[in-house]
Amino acid sequence: MSRSAIELDFFGMEKELSPPPKLPTFARRRSFRDIQGVISKINPEVLKTVIANGSSGLNKSVTVPCTPKEDHTIFPPLPVHGSNLRQSCEPKRSAETAPMTIFYNGMVAVFDVSPHKAKDILLHAEEEAQKPAESSDSKGTGSSSDQKNILGTLNGDFPIARRKSLQRFLEKRKER
Amino acid sequence: MKEQKSIKLIRCGSSSGMGSGGADETVWECVIPYVQDPRDRDAVSLVCKRWYQIDALTRKHVTIALCYTATPERLSRRFPHLESLKLKGKPRAAMFNLIPEDWGGYVTSWVEEIDKSFCRMKALHFRRMIVIDADLEMLAKSPAGKVLEVLKLDKCSGFSTDGLLIIGRLCRNLKTLFMEESTIVEKDGEWLHELALNNTVLENVNFYMTDLTKVRSTDLELMAKNCPSLTSVKISDCDISDLIGFFKAANALEEFGGGSFNEPPGQIGEGVFNEQLGRYSAVSFPPRLCCLGLTYLGKAEMPLIFPIAARLKKLDLLYALLDTAGHCDLLQRCLNLEILETRNVIGDRGLEVLAQFCKKMKRLRIERGADEQEMEDVEGIVSQRGLIALAQGCLDLEYLAVYVSDITNEALECIGRYSKNMCDFRLVLLDREETITDLPLDNGVRSLLIGCEKLRRFALYLRPGGLTDLGLSYIGRYSPKVRWMLLGYVGESDDGLLVFSKGCPSLQKLEMRGCCFSERALAMAAMQLTSLRYLWVQGYRSVNRLDLLKMVRPNWNIELIPARRVYVQDANEQVIFDHPAHILAYYSLVGQRTDFPTTVMPLDPNALLN
Repeated sequence: MSRSAIELDFFGMEKELSPPPKLPTFARRRSFRDIQGVISKINPEVLKTVIANGSSGLNKSVTVPCTPKEDHTIFPPLPVHGSNLRQSCEPKRSAETAPMTIFYNGMVAVFDVSPHKAKDILLHAEEEAQKPAESSDSKGTGSSSDQKNILGTLNGDFPIARRKSLQRFLEKRKER
Repeated sequence: MKEQKSIKLIRCGSSSGMGSGGADETVWECVIPYVQDPRDRDAVSLVCKRWYQIDALTRKHVTIALCYTATPERLSRRFPHLESLKLKGKPRAAMFNLIPEDWGGYVTSWVEEIDKSFCRMKALHFRRMIVIDADLEMLAKSPAGKVLEVLKLDKCSGFSTDGLLIIGRLCRNLKTLFMEESTIVEKDGEWLHELALNNTVLENVNFYMTDLTKVRSTDLELMAKNCPSLTSVKISDCDISDLIGFFKAANALEEFGGGSFNEPPGQIGEGVFNEQLGRYSAVSFPPRLCCLGLTYLGKAEMPLIFPIAARLKKLDLLYALLDTAGHCDLLQRCLNLEILETRNVIGDRGLEVLAQFCKKMKRLRIERGADEQEMEDVEGIVSQRGLIALAQGCLDLEYLAVYVSDITNEALECIGRYSKNMCDFRLVLLDREETITDLPLDNGVRSLLIGCEKLRRFALYLRPGGLTDLGLSYIGRYSPKVRWMLLGYVGESDDGLLVFSKGCPSLQKLEMRGCCFSERALAMAAMQLTSLRYLWVQGYRSVNRLDLLKMVRPNWNIELIPARRVYVQDANEQVIFDHPAHILAYYSLVGQRTDFPTTVMPLDPNALLN
């Protein structure tokens, strides 16, 4: 069965220039507060399960805690809402589904989703991200990707800003 | 002679027991106008009422570092005979695309006041402000328009070439028209034609780094013919081969910037080299030209500069296309070079060449080149190696701004040891390399600050781990004369900032980015820094927004730019930039401004508490 894997670099990891964050231990850690807050809403037990079962599809539906209210998190939580994830975790053997791989901070999670669900998840991310980010710790670089905008780096840094004049010159130079 | 006479009068006055008699007053009226330095004038105005009045009536120039600290009416009330005014608007971060375009800084009310009250205004400098065509029209038609000699629209936006047309037509005494890096809506090239036709006293014309494309080289030539005093011309892109006539006519020219070199399409290989030289060989630079910057200058065109290299005092390679070897080749011939601006493609090797050959270097600015490896020379990085050579070789350095890829304490110590004339030092540590040779930089920074006794301006932009709290305390302790600082990713905790803010006795303007400090620490620091009048912060550790209230006090405006997401359409993609929140706080005589755009909010204590 040919499957096209939809790889989503949600957190701009490919463009990550600063030192890669340390691999977290999966352990029994319940709170992901230390990991910049976003993926903290996904129960680590769930992720662990998913990774373990990734390639063979998922045999059980898992519940995921609903995204909690915004507190001091840097970004609005990744909107992997309970309902969506539950559905995407249900085994779908139809030809429409494809693995959705999420890379984060050294962890890899694979979900089987239909294109429709994948789009939902992306739109949800867009939607959540478009809420005015109140917290002043909001940060990140933009990753360009055709409207599917993705939250930027999460390690607390934002890029060194470039002078306007130099920026324009470097862009013009590329076009020559 | 006059001074001796004045002294005699004082003696007469005191011996006869006169207090503030007529003779004494004449003395001060004669003497005070000779006092030019603004800080001295400030001191003079505080001595007594009479001195305040004399200063007010005779003050010729005022700089208002932030236009919202005063109003035009207050200015004209206190200094009715002002002849020169400099106003600054948007925060400096606007030069880095960090500030919303409509943030503020409108010149309109100031121009209205100039029209009404300042008929002797000869020089105007608006920096990072919004200027519209109607403002330029009002200015041109005002009484000041007839006497205006200097107009600088410096990194401004909001106007078009129509506004410039009116200026060119009516301001016939204009000696300087400066518009570098302004965003100008271009309707046509008529404004330059008008300026060239009507003006014979031009000395300095600058539309460098604007995107004006409809300017005609024939108008430049006309201007050169009509204005025998033309000494400095910096233009937008215009092929250098079209400027042959201009260069011939501009006999007094000392400074030229801009233009561009273009390769004819479809040429590759060795042929290009000779072809380019052939095309441009007819270019003959004016005899006194000693300041030069040619856009897209490449290896092929470099030999054109060799004949005048030895007399160059200032060289701008920011927008050139030279690699490291090209820099070395050119710079070794520039034995009289005092000012150089370039990108980090100069490399450590280029800095070594500077150290060896360019002993008169005073000002060096090394900007950040492209990040993509293919776009710049692989040698094009600057590190401790280049800085150490530079410090040891160029002892006259007064200004150094550099983006480095690597750094050590030793390099900073070297600068402290050798660069005794350093007044302005700025270092940014690029974030491309994972590992830096020698962090934290605590000891190097301390040595630099202690050694560079004349330091007035200081910027240090590092990364987490770059400077500990102890290092931050060194900055506080050892920067007695520094008035402006930019600090990025320094310190480890609130404690560091609090100790820092007990020092820096002269610090008037503080900019911080990417800090780990909470609102509480920021507010307390603002209250502790004794000379602070302007604070800008982007990126901090938000714990409790209410803590900002700790710095609420009379005459202290606090503005916030909440975090925002900016969508930029770029060809087929939409690129999105997340901007962290800003805090901007400053002393003002006139309360909160009233022209906030939607992206900026005044801090309202009541709103916060609810």
